[in-house]
Parts: sequence; structure tokens; C-alpha cells
Amino acid sequence: MNKALFIISLQHELAMAIGNKLDLKAMLKVFLKVCFNRLNLTSSHIYVYCDHSGMPKKLVALESMDYQHFISIPKNKRGQPWHKNPILTNFAEQLNHAQQNLSLQCDNDQYLFGFIIPDHGLLIFETHYAIAEEVQKALSPILKKLATSCYTSLVHDSLVKEVLSRQLIEDKVAYQAQHDGLTGLFNRQHINHLLKSAIDDAHSNKKIGSVIFIDLNRFKPINDAMGHSVGDKILLTLANRLYSLNNENIDVGRFGGDEFIIIIKNLNHCYQDTINQLISQINQLLIIPFVIDANSYKLSCSIGYSLFPLQSSTVNNLIKFADIAMYEAKREKCRLGKKYQTVMSEKIKRRLAYADDMKQGLENGDFKLYYQAQYSHYGDIIGAEALLRWQHPVHGIESPAVYIPIAEESDLILAIGQWVLEQACRDIHQLELLTLPESFKKIAINISAKQLNQHDFQDRVLNAIKQNDIPAERLALELTENLLVENIEDSIKLIAALKEQAIDCSIDDFGTGYSSLTYLKRIPASLLKIDRSFVANIDQCKESAAIASMIISLGKTLNMNILAEGVETAAELNCLKTLGCYQYQGYYFSKPLPFEKFVQLLN
Amino acid sequence: MNTGLFTWHTHSNALSDFKYGLSLAKSSGAKSLLVLTCSQNHYPEDQLSALLSTCSLTVFGGIYPMLTLQNTLLEQGALIIGFHESFDVTLFSQLHQVTDEESLEALITSTLEAKDNYCGRNDFLMFYDSLINNIEDFIDCMFECLDHGINIAGGGAGNLDFIQNPCIFTNQGLHKNAVLLVTIPNKVSVGVAHGWKIFKGPFLVSNAHENTVYSLNYQSAFEVYCQAIESASDYKFNNSNFFDIAKNFPLGIEDINHNLIVRDPIYAHKSDLKCAGSIPINSMVYLLKSDTDTLIASAEQAAITAFSTPTEITSTTMIFDCISRVLYMEDKFEQELDVIAKHCTTPILFGVLSLGEIANSPSGAIRLLNKSTVISSW
Repeated sequence: MNKALFIISLQHELAMAIGNKLDLKAMLKVFLKVCFNRLNLTSSHIYVYCDHSGMPKKLVALESMDYQHFISIPKNKRGQPWHKNPILTNFAEQLNHAQQNLSLQCDNDQYLFGFIIPDHGLLIFETHYAIAEEVQKALSPILKKLATSCYTSLVHDSLVKEVLSRQLIEDKVAYQAQHDGLTGLFNRQHINHLLKSAIDDAHSNKKIGSVIFIDLNRFKPINDAMGHSVGDKILLTLANRLYSLNNENIDVGRFGGDEFIIIIKNLNHCYQDTINQLISQINQLLIIPFVIDANSYKLSCSIGYSLFPLQSSTVNNLIKFADIAMYEAKREKCRLGKKYQTVMSEKIKRRLAYADDMKQGLENGDFKLYYQAQYSHYGDIIGAEALLRWQHPVHGIESPAVYIPIAEESDLILAIGQWVLEQACRDIHQLELLTLPESFKKIAINISAKQLNQHDFQDRVLNAIKQNDIPAERLALELTENLLVENIEDSIKLIAALKEQAIDCSIDDFGTGYSSLTYLKRIPASLLKIDRSFVANIDQCKESAAIASMIISLGKTLNMNILAEGVETAAELNCLKTLGCYQYQGYYFSKPLPFEKFVQLLN
Repeated sequence: MNTGLFTWHTHSNALSDFKYGLSLAKSSGAKSLLVLTCSQNHYPEDQLSALLSTCSLTVFGGIYPMLTLQNTLLEQGALIIGFHESFDVTLFSQLHQVTDEESLEALITSTLEAKDNYCGRNDFLMFYDSLINNIEDFIDCMFECLDHGINIAGGGAGNLDFIQNPCIFTNQGLHKNAVLLVTIPNKVSVGVAHGWKIFKGPFLVSNAHENTVYSLNYQSAFEVYCQAIESASDYKFNNSNFFDIAKNFPLGIEDINHNLIVRDPIYAHKSDLKCAGSIPINSMVYLLKSDTDTLIASAEQAAITAFSTPTEITSTTMIFDCISRVLYMEDKFEQELDVIAKHCTTPILFGVLSLGEIANSPSGAIRLLNKSTVISSW
């Protein structure tokens, strides 16, 4: 009677130990532990049917009974994991093959008893005694219940995995929605969101905040010259450095390109000190050279900032104001950062209105080309530089020093440049109809950076020549030294291609930039123009004379002609002659003239 | 191999005497010291801790309710055994903070890995704070992580007041909530017995959690327990005599091989019985009883087992005898020590009266025992 009660109690206890945990391994461990204690086991083991990747299977096809060791109590035998134990492994193999209960008396008087967990695996007990037949039989319903619980755990496990992978994807999407892909900083969208919250908090807490707009100076030439991979590495390095400023009151984000934004929150009345300190820290972060692929790059930045809620309480305005202030800092080459002022916006408005006037002027034919003749040392006119003049309907003649930089800020410079090219070609065509002095060779026009970057710039030049039916050699292009250096490889290719079409190029304002002599050697230009700053008072200034002399020697070495700009006095002319410069342009000879008057001068 | 070298004991409860004994041990040429003291000594904790932590030799042991030396009971005093070998000592501490199985496994695994999983070492003594509430989880987990095929003997330290105080000795001082595992360089031969027999039952443990039995046969555990005793004996339970009666009638869990694992009811709370060891839900338990002669005979059997196992030449025998046996047998307890001494083949025989005993079961697993005699010889 007691034996029957014992078996029922045992059965009940084992059955109650099944399904207490959802995770398969944890569930089986609880079951094995109870078996271990109640059945006085020496060791207990479970093998489970697995798929090809070794994962336990929910349902097993009869023909595929791959199984793997899954769990043992204790974990090892004599320091060796059980799956390496040959006796157990062989017994498991026999058990799997037989697919029915098996027992084995081992050499060491221990016993192995094997049971099938239907559709899920094998259960093996090691004992120091023979488990009675009736106890073995009593395990049969337990094993069916264990199989059901295995299935439940596996279903649960797959659900958990699904939920987890969905969670991971959601986290990733959420991260990507807020962070910049390259730098990992907050992206523009999230910065806008953070700024909105910061503005609201500033209102509630009666605090002040600031938006700091950072733009790298002269980053584009590095990106163009060294490639985007280098540029990206620089941006990433900078992002990491800027992120070091991040704290509970400071958020750092990338606004786009080489523009970064920092939001400072919870500032008190000493906000100016804090902002100045942060700007100083940003500049410090840039002092350390950026070492990328064994090359070292030195960079600086321009910084502008706006304040909330003092200057605005809208996200767009605050970012726009900080951007405007940054732009002012860049124009003024100010390293200390610029605080936004209302006048900056007014200035921009005026510039925009001015650009509109320019556009209108171009349509109305208010722009004219003037020509300043270029002379040889024999006093013959050898060419001319076409110079743009704008007759503003209200302001009168406007200085190119004012309107060209404004035009360069927008694409208006392209329209103006195209007009200059076409007008110059039309004027050359007119000249071709006249009898020109033999010494007269060509008309030179100035080319802007944006024109040079046009992918079809060469075609545009050739088209203008073709449409006006003029000899190509009559047209020359003037490119500034800085412009060439910013895009050196493409410039070299373009100048070489134009030269093949008989169109010469000259390097304008030479001496004011910092071009490498190595580059200069590779540029197939025909003419170096000594900048007017070295020509003015050259007869009295030894330094200017020395620089001019050096440029002249350089030109000769590189087989280029040399022309001095801005010659205004006989003394300057004589000095230039002495130094070996034999081509000139300047008021001493002739001021820029309207086309008609230039034609008269030629005659 | 003679592992025991130096033996010193005192019946004095003065720390100065213990300090003297320790100084003798230090100059004895021993490399490791097994230090056992009686809880009755009430040594100042800080001074005792300072003595242990300044000892240049490896120290291990603990504070127990009583000690034994040969066939003598030491109700107060101290005992120091010096060994030739520098024993490896591993302390698992802060166990009260390890509340779940995963953390316990992580703690044991990392500690064992630091000891190279005791590669080649299969013989251990275990001293532990008897008021750790998860000692069975600990030994289950340790067995799972260690290996089977180990030989172990041990006992719970502390005092009979069941107030937790630091009671485990190492070179770092005194510890509570700790288990100390000491590797023995020789094979340890272990004999285990309790001498308790089935008196009533079986009862189905219809509700229980860890050490607490809520119901037997779907009725109040306390009521079933009391009724079973009162109906078959002259004992009558009242509000204050639970332990006096219960010490005569422990519970026994019968395993598949008809061995009884004894569980001592310590106290009753409302309708529940709190035992010194876990009782699994859905298991079958019996009410047990015994008498002095049977208990002494069982101790003798344990001694015969421990000393008859063929091992290398042994020098040391340590007994972990349950304190409840003294409380039950009272003056006759020394007869138990006599029969053990009669069979003892080693020159050094000593022991502790413990609060819970640790030994291997016949299957090899480590078990927490109650009311038992564990005789280890190496």
C-alpha cells in the first residue's frame, strides 16, 4: 500500500515539477532537479531534437532525429563535460535508435536508464541502484506531460525571440530617426525636437538657452581634394570631439554637411560667460590637428549663436538667427563667435533685395562690359580684360567689389558669368569685323568658382565661340590663384582641354594666394598676372619689387608670360621694365572703356 | 600520510587562553590550523577577528555550540588542530545577498573557476553559517557545478539561540552568511547515520515552501503533527513545549531506496511547521522516533563505515554530530562518543556539535542532514 502511495506521490511530485518555468532550459532544469533528489540519482541528462543550426525543434519529422546534449546535473563528470563522455554518448545513441526505454548496467556498478520524451528528446538517469520496473512505468505519463511542456516552452521561446527582434528593430528605427548616420550625433530633425522642448522648459523654468551654430571653414576644398572618405573621417572625428561637451544641459547634433548645432539649456543670468566659455572650448577642440590616414589637417570653424527665449521662441527662427550670426562670423573671420543681432537680418534682407536688383538689372540690360587695354613694352595694345559694370537705376554705377561677392552667394553669378561670356564673344565678333592691329591678340574674361564647377563649363565656352563665329584664340579666361587651388585636379584638366582648343588661361591676382609651386608647375596656363597690390608704388617699395621680381622669374622658369596689373605711373612702368616684365595693364595706359570707346582706342 | 600534527585544547572560555594556544600552534611547525571554539565562550568578536587575521598560518574553522575531543564533550573552550599541509580554503561570502539561482550559480562558477574547478581535488570539509537561509540551494548548486565523485563532510556553525553572529573563521577574520570550503589533500572517508525510525505515516506534503510545511494530507501541518504524536504517546502539546516534544519526533522524507532524510521541526507558527531543511511539496513524509540505544547504535554503524573504508593511512577523524542528539540523549551522549572512539583508528579524533550536517548521499549528491552523525576520516 505504501509502495503504491509512494509511486503516486512520486508521480505527482514529478508532474508538479513540470512547466514551472517558461524558458526550456530553466523548465527542464527544475524537472531534472526534482528527479535528481526524489530518485536519488547520481546524474541526470536531457538530449533534445534539434534543427540544423542546433536549435531545439518544436516539431520533429520522423525521418530527422538529430539530437544534441542539452542539460545535465551535475554539469561535468571528473572535470569533463558530459557531451564528451563516451558511455553516456553511446547510450544516448542507442536510446535514440531504439526509441523505447533502455537500461544499462555499467562496469562501475552504476546504471543508466533511458526514456523517450515524445517528439522532443531523450531523458537519461544515472543511478547507483536499479530503478524498479513499476517506477519506470510510472514515468511514462510524466514524459508525455514533459513533452507538452517542452513544446510550450519552445513556442514561448520563439515568441520571445520574435518580440525581442521586433524590439531591436524598433530601437534601431528609433535611433536612426534621431541620430545622424555618419557621426551618431543627433540629426537635424531631433535637434529641432530637442530645441522645442528646451524652449518650453526655458519658459517654464524662467531660464535662458542658446543655439550655437558651428560651420567648418574651408572644409570643402579638403573634401574635394582628398575625397569624401577623408572628409567623412574628419567630420566623424570632429563629432566625437564635440560630443565630449555633451552633458545634461548640452545637446550636440549635426545639422548637415559640415554644420553642427549645440543646444545649451538652463542658463542663468551669467549666460554670456557660459557661452563664451563653450565657444572657447569648441575652438580648443579644433586646435588639435585632424590626423586622417597619416595626413594631418588643421581646421577652424565659424560660430554664431542665438538666445532663447530672449531673441525668439521658435525653433526655425533660433536656428536661422544662429546661422546668420555664424555667417557674419565667417565673413569677418571672427574666431570668438558672433551673437545674433537684428541688424544682421536687416543686412541679409538688404543683400537679398540687392541680389533681386541685380537679377532685374541683368534682364534690363543694365550690365555692360568695359574693356581695359593691355600693352606691350613697345606701347602696342596686345589685348584687353573685359570688366563688368552695372548701372544701377537708383545708385548709379555700382562697384564690382560690392555686387560680385553678393552674386557669388547665389547662383546669380552663373547667369552673370554666362552673360559676360556671351557678350564678350559678341564683342570679339564685332572686333573681328574691324581691322585690328597685328599686335592685338585676345580679350580675357574673369571666371568665378561656381562657373568653373559647372560640369558643362567647357561646352558653354565652346558654344559661345561657335555661336558668335569667332576664332577661339581670341578668347582668354582669367582664373584666380585661389580658385584654381581649391579644385586643382579638375582645373588642370579643364585648362589643358581649353588649351587644346586654342583658348588660353591666365592666373589672375598672382601672389595674393598661397598656391603650391608644385601645383603651379602643373597648371598649363599661359600668363601670370602680377597683382596690383605689388605693382602700386613698386618703384618705392623694395618688398613689392622683390615679390614682383620673384613672380617674373617664376613665370620665365615655367615658360609663362607675365603681365602687371594696375600700372598707374611711369615710375612703376620703368621699374617693371627693369625687373623684366613687359606686359602691362592699368590707368597709366588706359582706364576700362565702354566697348565703343575701346574700339576707338584700338583704331 | 600523517596530516595531523598538533592538537591543543582548552576548557577555558578566556580569550587569553585561546591566544596562548594559537601562539603554541604557530610555533608548532604546522602550516594550516583548524580552529574550533564554543559559542559559550562569547569571545569579543573584534579581538578574535584580530587574532585570526594576524595569524601567519592558514586558518579555517568556526564557532559551534559544543566541541568534542576523543570521547569528551567540551561545552566551552577551544580546540586547535595543526596540519603539515597548507590547506586550500575558499570562502563564499555575502550569501544573504544572493537571492536567485542565476546569481548563486554565477558566484559559485566564478569562484570555482578561480580555483581551477578544484582540478584533481575531490575531498572537502565544509563549515557554514547555519543561519544562511539558502544553504540547500547553495549545496545543490555547488554539486551541480563541481562534479560528482567528491567526498564531503561538514556542519553548520553558530549557536543554539538562533541569533545570527559571525561564526566562520578565515585569515580575514570572522564571517557570517558564509560558506567555507576546505580541500583535504587525502581521501576523506565518510560514515553517516541518524538512527531515527518510522513511527507514523506516511503523510503527503500537500503544501510546503522551502523549510516550511503548510499542510500535510491537505490539513494543517501543525494539527496533523500534534494529533499524530498525541494519539500515540503521552505527550500533550501546549503553548510552550513544542520544541521539547518535537525534538523526539522529527519528520522523515523517504527516498526511492527507502532511506530516510531527517528534517527536524524547529518551531510551529500558527498552523505551519518550520523545519531545519527543506521539505519538497508533494513528497511523502513520516513521523520518526528513536531512543538513546538506537541512536548510539547508529553512530557506531557510522563509525564502522567511516573506518572500514579502505583508504591510505589516516591520521585524523572529525565528527559533525547534530547538537539535537546531545539535547535528546543528554548525559548519555558521551556513550555515543565512546562507541565512535572505540572504532576510531586515527590518533586524532575530534568534532563539533553542529546545527545541520553535510555529507554525500549514497548516490554521490551532497545533502543537508538533520539530527545525524557524520564521521569523516582522512
